[in-house]
Amino acid sequence: MATRKKATRKKISSSDVAAKPPASQDDNPTTDSVCLAPKFWKVILTACAVTVLLEILMQFHALGSAHRHPHFQFEEGNPMSDSVLAAFSNWFGFYGIYGILACVGSVLLAKGLSVFLKAREDYYDGTP
Amino acid sequence: MELLNNIPPALILIIGAFALLALPATARKIGAISLAAIGFFAIHQLDDNAQVKTEFLGHTLDLLRVDSTSKAFGYIFTLSAFGAFIFSWAERCRLQNTAALVYIGSALGVVFAGDMISWYLFWELMAVSSTFLVLARNTKASRLAAQRYILVHLAGGLILLTGILLTINSTGLTAFTQENISQNTTAKWFILIGILINAAAVPFSSWLPDAYPESTVFGGIILSAYTTKTAVYTLVRGFPGEEILIPIGCIMAIYGIIYALLENDMRRILAYSIVNQIGFMVCGVGVGTQLAIAGVVAHAFCHIIYKALLWMSIGAVLHRTGKSKCTELGGLYKSMPITMMMAIIGALSISAVPLTCGFVSKTLITAATEQQHYLWAWYALEVASAGVFVYACIPFYTFFNVDRGLRPKEAPRAMITGMALMAFLCIYIGLNPGHLYGILPHGEVLTEKASFYYTYIKHFDKVVTVLQMLLFSALMFFLLLPLLKRTPTISIDFDWFYRKGAKLFYCAMDKAFNNLNKAAERLVIKTFLPALTQFVIVAPATLTVILLRPVWRESLDADEKSIKKREQELIAKFSSGTFPVAYSAIFVLIFIGLLVLIGRATG
Repeated sequence: MATRKKATRKKISSSDVAAKPPASQDDNPTTDSVCLAPKFWKVILTACAVTVLLEILMQFHALGSAHRHPHFQFEEGNPMSDSVLAAFSNWFGFYGIYGILACVGSVLLAKGLSVFLKAREDYYDGTP
Repeated sequence: MELLNNIPPALILIIGAFALLALPATARKIGAISLAAIGFFAIHQLDDNAQVKTEFLGHTLDLLRVDSTSKAFGYIFTLSAFGAFIFSWAERCRLQNTAALVYIGSALGVVFAGDMISWYLFWELMAVSSTFLVLARNTKASRLAAQRYILVHLAGGLILLTGILLTINSTGLTAFTQENISQNTTAKWFILIGILINAAAVPFSSWLPDAYPESTVFGGIILSAYTTKTAVYTLVRGFPGEEILIPIGCIMAIYGIIYALLENDMRRILAYSIVNQIGFMVCGVGVGTQLAIAGVVAHAFCHIIYKALLWMSIGAVLHRTGKSKCTELGGLYKSMPITMMMAIIGALSISAVPLTCGFVSKTLITAATEQQHYLWAWYALEVASAGVFVYACIPFYTFFNVDRGLRPKEAPRAMITGMALMAFLCIYIGLNPGHLYGILPHGEVLTEKASFYYTYIKHFDKVVTVLQMLLFSALMFFLLLPLLKRTPTISIDFDWFYRKGAKLFYCAMDKAFNNLNKAAERLVIKTFLPALTQFVIVAPATLTVILLRPVWRESLDADEKSIKKREQELIAKFSSGTFPVAYSAIFVLIFIGLLVLIGRATG
């Protein structure tokens, strides 16, 4: 029941932070600095490593083949067959890389947009 | 139980809502909870042939169309209402319970409506009753938000009505089916836009994060479930396979992520997460295959559960601390550990972590896009699935992060019971996907997938890859957190156009019409009218002078001085309107003479 183990690990990662008091108590509670327990980083890095390890095992069909997208694979008459993106989705480690790209991309986009989109809380005062 | 077979569930709740008004507080609360339960059983025992038809303005209203789609939505609507009413035991508001029951009842009305007229009537009733849930907070901000909310929905309702009337006009049929709607292209677009406004599709999305966070704790939970999901239901009914919905859905999903990263208010972040999740459903409707439609209904079902759970947990925090902002909350894990567990289960479910209900429903939609070779849509949805980890910041900012010295009590027992029910459903459905898949439309395509073994053991690879994506995304998210400091700000959304636009419009109208008024006054009152008066006085005087000058010149001794004097006297007489009687007599004689001459000439 590797699945169960995996899931409990995931949940532990959240409750671990709960068990730990914040690493540094901020003296000024109005500033917004982020506090994460060192243990949290250990847990999340281990979990990431475990998923990569499991995927490597799957490459050797130790746990069944890795989840891939047959519909994006090369085959006659498949409209996706010549697309690099379609091929990319079938690479090893695609999900990890894509997770990183998606997260960094959206954070940077949000950061860029924040210049234009963030406004003071009284911005709409006096409007209907 | 044949008893309830011929009663539309909508009517049970709506009539019950008004009956409750008469009861004392405790009985009213029990009544509301039991009405939700009765609604659930009424829907459960409806069979597919049940029909209720009435006549209305020469059209037949079909109040009961029962199939697996409407039943699935009916189940979850009543189930989440049941949880929400238990949760709200501690809140006292007579109006709110009734408004919520009417709202839920009318949402059920839309879901079971078989024709477009009853659909529209319930649709508008939903808009009106939900406005009271925003108003119930009773702050200035909520009153203004409610005002904007109802205006947007009335506008959307009118667009929908236009479409419905055009359809009925061109086909003569009121049936609420895809064939009937797609008969007339113009009508179809009107209907689609009307629905998309309620579905909070970009760019009509801003009403949702504008109004929902201003509602009460209970109002937020109720509001989060119905308006957008009935819109998804109507899309499933009227527009499966409508390809334009795919890009719209993808944009919504990503838009929800980006704005959640910018926002500071937890409840606003939750509101944006609704847009994100509805994006998945809208995209699924656009794909339109059997798998996609089953996925959409499944996702709507699960989404209501975990979204209610998240709104409940943040609502419990708001109830205890009076705060809902990232920059004001933090470190509550010790004071509110149970609420924290519930919030984490909700956040894991919305992130579609394996063993939660989000996993068994969201994967159906992404699988459907893959199956139909919508590569770009698939990539966009995967971005949204990876980025959905931003909603993990909800428990993170509330319960961990910086300790702000808040030491509230744990949430009241009723709230915990409500949350526990939802959290149980999250995990239960995650572990037993078959029970959910069994009530879906096109459930037959899912019979193979409907087991724990298939989902988690046979497709363990899927579990690994999903976890890998989420974990790497989460890792990056926490690494980049310092980059995204929450600031006490709001983020500008599409509502800028009508909020600032309304002010601009007001200013423009003010400038335009007041200046027009001023110019008109200057021109007409100050210039034209005096000139006209002057003309009326001077013209006859001048004429008379011109006529009399030769007479004077002949009769008097041609003295320029005396002629001038006479002229001035005459003009003075004209301007004051005072003539000696003799003059008047002469003028009268002249006029009579003229009349006689004219009479002769024409006679």
